[in-house]
Amino acid sequence: MVGNSFRGGVHPKECKERSRDVPLRSADPKGDLVFLLGQHIGTPARPVVKKNDPVLAGQILAEADGFVSAHVICSCSGTVKALEKRRTVSGRMMDCIVIQNDGEYRCTGNWDKRDEFTALRTEEILSRVKAAGIIGLGGAGFPTHVKLAPKNPQAIRYVIVNGTECEPWLTCNDQLMRTNAAEIADGLEVMLALFPNAEGVVCIEDNKPEAAAAMQKAVSGRQKMRVQVLPTKYSQGGEHSLIRVISGIDYPADMLPADVGCLVDNVGTVYAIGRAVLYGEPLLSHVMTVSGDAVSHPGNFWVREGTGFRDLLEAAGGLKEGAEPKKILAGGPMMGIAMGSLDVPVQRNNNGLTLLLTDDNEAAEKQATACLRCGRCLPTCPAGLLPQMMAAAYEAGDLDRFEKKLYGMECVLCGSCTFICPAKRPLTQMFRQAKAEIQTARRIRAAGGEK
Amino acid sequence: MSTAYNLSASPHTRDGLTTQRIMWTVVAALAPVTIMGVWYYGFHAFLVLLVSVATAVASEYAFCMFCRKPVTISDGSAVITGLLLALSLAPSVPLYVPLCGSMFAILVAKCCFGGLGKNFINPALAGRCFVLISFSSTVSSYKVDGITSATPMMTMRAGRAVSITQMFLGRTNAVIGSCILALLIGGLALWVLDIINGDIVLSVLISFTIFLVVFGGQGVDPKFLLAHLCGGGVMMGAFFMATDYTTSPVTRPGRILYGALIGILGAMFRVFSSVPDAFSYSIIISNLFVPLIDIFVVPKPYAYRKEAMALQRGEPKKNLLQRIPVPVMVLAVITLVSGFALSGVFTMTKSTIEEQKLLANSASYQAVIPAAQTFETDDDLERLLSEVGGDVYGSDFGRVTINSAVAGKDADGCLAGTAISVTSAEGFDGDITLTVGIDPEGRVTGISFTALNETPGMGMRADEPAFKDQFAGKKVDAFVLNGKTESDANIDSVSGASTTSGAVVNAVNAALDFYRMAKGGTQP
Repeated sequence: MVGNSFRGGVHPKECKERSRDVPLRSADPKGDLVFLLGQHIGTPARPVVKKNDPVLAGQILAEADGFVSAHVICSCSGTVKALEKRRTVSGRMMDCIVIQNDGEYRCTGNWDKRDEFTALRTEEILSRVKAAGIIGLGGAGFPTHVKLAPKNPQAIRYVIVNGTECEPWLTCNDQLMRTNAAEIADGLEVMLALFPNAEGVVCIEDNKPEAAAAMQKAVSGRQKMRVQVLPTKYSQGGEHSLIRVISGIDYPADMLPADVGCLVDNVGTVYAIGRAVLYGEPLLSHVMTVSGDAVSHPGNFWVREGTGFRDLLEAAGGLKEGAEPKKILAGGPMMGIAMGSLDVPVQRNNNGLTLLLTDDNEAAEKQATACLRCGRCLPTCPAGLLPQMMAAAYEAGDLDRFEKKLYGMECVLCGSCTFICPAKRPLTQMFRQAKAEIQTARRIRAAGGEK
Repeated sequence: MSTAYNLSASPHTRDGLTTQRIMWTVVAALAPVTIMGVWYYGFHAFLVLLVSVATAVASEYAFCMFCRKPVTISDGSAVITGLLLALSLAPSVPLYVPLCGSMFAILVAKCCFGGLGKNFINPALAGRCFVLISFSSTVSSYKVDGITSATPMMTMRAGRAVSITQMFLGRTNAVIGSCILALLIGGLALWVLDIINGDIVLSVLISFTIFLVVFGGQGVDPKFLLAHLCGGGVMMGAFFMATDYTTSPVTRPGRILYGALIGILGAMFRVFSSVPDAFSYSIIISNLFVPLIDIFVVPKPYAYRKEAMALQRGEPKKNLLQRIPVPVMVLAVITLVSGFALSGVFTMTKSTIEEQKLLANSASYQAVIPAAQTFETDDDLERLLSEVGGDVYGSDFGRVTINSAVAGKDADGCLAGTAISVTSAEGFDGDITLTVGIDPEGRVTGISFTALNETPGMGMRADEPAFKDQFAGKKVDAFVLNGKTESDANIDSVSGASTTSGAVVNAVNAALDFYRMAKGGTQP
């Protein structure tokens, strides 16, 4: 049975047919691997290796620094080539550790012996998750061992496993659920051990019937967990959207999911938690989709962290004959990041590489007209905001109205309003800018207050 | 491999719907009513449409060139303005009317306020009001085949019934865009395609209907309500003008409020004022409230609404009944109670009102059939009345309507005569209503005026015996005004008032014709 949907949302072309049935395979890179120290939310990790040190896959390259931080773990064997700034997905130069890959992928362990987790105490489970260097693979990259330790574990009522994959083009989580359903259920079982009052809910959109069936089979017979099939609609996989659907609660941006008794993790993260706690395996690789109309053989891959995007594209057979992509995206077209170059490393929270022959944004700039006030953007907002008015306030320079009267800081930048706008106005782009300006002003105020 | 990739912020994909496509879809939705208008009203209507649209597009082009702004005519919004303006004009207006109206609509109402998305009132309606005020007598005269006559709205205001079927098919004497069927086809198509907002349409139509039910004085009378909904631009207003994006609020509660305002104002003007173009004004006035509505009706995001905040605090979820706010429940109860009370009062007083009407008419009935003691309804007459009542009665008698027909009985209960009330819309100065008495032999017993507002000393002299009594005691097929040959049927015109005299003769002839039909004869 298909469950309820969240309010709002849009239906972009799914574009999943090219890669949805291509099984996962590993894409081992030949070139150097580059590891960012600060790809997770929180303090960047502190390097514990020096130049020319030999390293193995599974070895810690940089340790978590402070409470909200995560280890950086090497995903290949070789030697440390450099500790330097490298260009990253976002286009910024950031501190990285560069490993010269010897191509042998020797590991620090075998990770094939399964522990019985029921004997483990909470602290032990959390420390194994932390040691594995797991961060949220869905996008934000929040350190998972921190997320799994809320103030009051008793109050968590739902552990939501996000297998919705509502982003167009991407199909890697679909494949992961089809092939590794049992491990995902294991991971969920481990998580539920931390929260005595919680129910595990695996959420899958109804465009992935095979994955839903596989997960259904995997959870049957296990305690306190179920599969919830949801209608296919973009931004279904947003944290707020899922919590609204499963628990019925809308909560503001300044509250955490745990404050309303929920916890959301991507299927990939849950899989990694299972591997880490039961087998002690660190997070070396995660699933990604390489797709787009410019790619010759789109597919789904196990990708080692630090792999260059160019190596990843080669694994998918490179570009189509004569294709010249206009736009390359880390992720999908709704929330992905446009990259200026393929020569940047894959981060743990990247879930796809999409190469597109056409750029809708370029076309949109030509078609743009004044705002018609048609109001189409309003019902698409998953948070119930008023994008038309927010844009007008921003353009009028009235950030005060944007923030206080229109609750602009609640915007999750899902892009639905911009997608639907017939006047092709860059709404999400304005909101991103407005939010940044307001946050800067807040920081300045806070700093001024301390003096 | 070249590495000149486009950089931009997400999202990187867009829906296919563009401003242009929306506007041209609206134009397409207006096609049925435009075609019906041209088909029924003829070539001049086509010219009016052409001039209006061409002027609108040319004005916008000229303005953009003059101000050195990018030319925006290809977005189709000027075409819509031109079309809507022409559709809301009489088909017989001289061509300078759409020309001036369109120029005002585009240059003043639209472009001067910043163009598409910025104008504060609906440009087409602004243009219409401009020409209504500037050329009031020309614009408000509705002519069919060169003869000025009443629109359905004027007929209704005069208290007479109109044919809803004719209004539905656009075969009445009204604006070019008056075919309700075609308007509904276009409007509903836009609704289904999600181009126009159904909230506004429903809100307008429902509030308009409710107001008429409560204050219209006829209760829930489907014929009365339908006639009002089909006439006077309500359908075009609700589907194509109230839903104009730029001049309607953006939030859902705002739109419902705005629609209700239009509906209530429109119905209020209908009931309490004598302006024929009231619905346009109700939309324009409501347009002015839009900025205000957009400031004060701002719904909070889901997470900040009362119910959600209670859930965030861990309070249990309320059931459906508890979720309905108290004011809503109170209002609903008040509405129900007052609704029942009103309809109760209406039913109780309805028969009294009918009696009053009969009493008022009975004086004129009595005047034309002196032998009668009582007047009663007659099955044959009623049946025929329900068939032809309200419609223009045949084309041979000008714009004549049969209002009522009763049988007069003498003291023994025998038929003393039939009294038929007729209205002609072709008086020199408005409607003429008169009662014709016909005895059982088919002889005219007399005529009596119940409404005569002609020129004093001229048309008003029709009420003098010298003219009136010419009809009495004659049994003819039809009377002839100033006939050449010597005949009983000849009626001498009131000197200097041939229009009035002609209308009276036509009205009496229509009554005779009606009488013959009721008695089993056929229409000549």
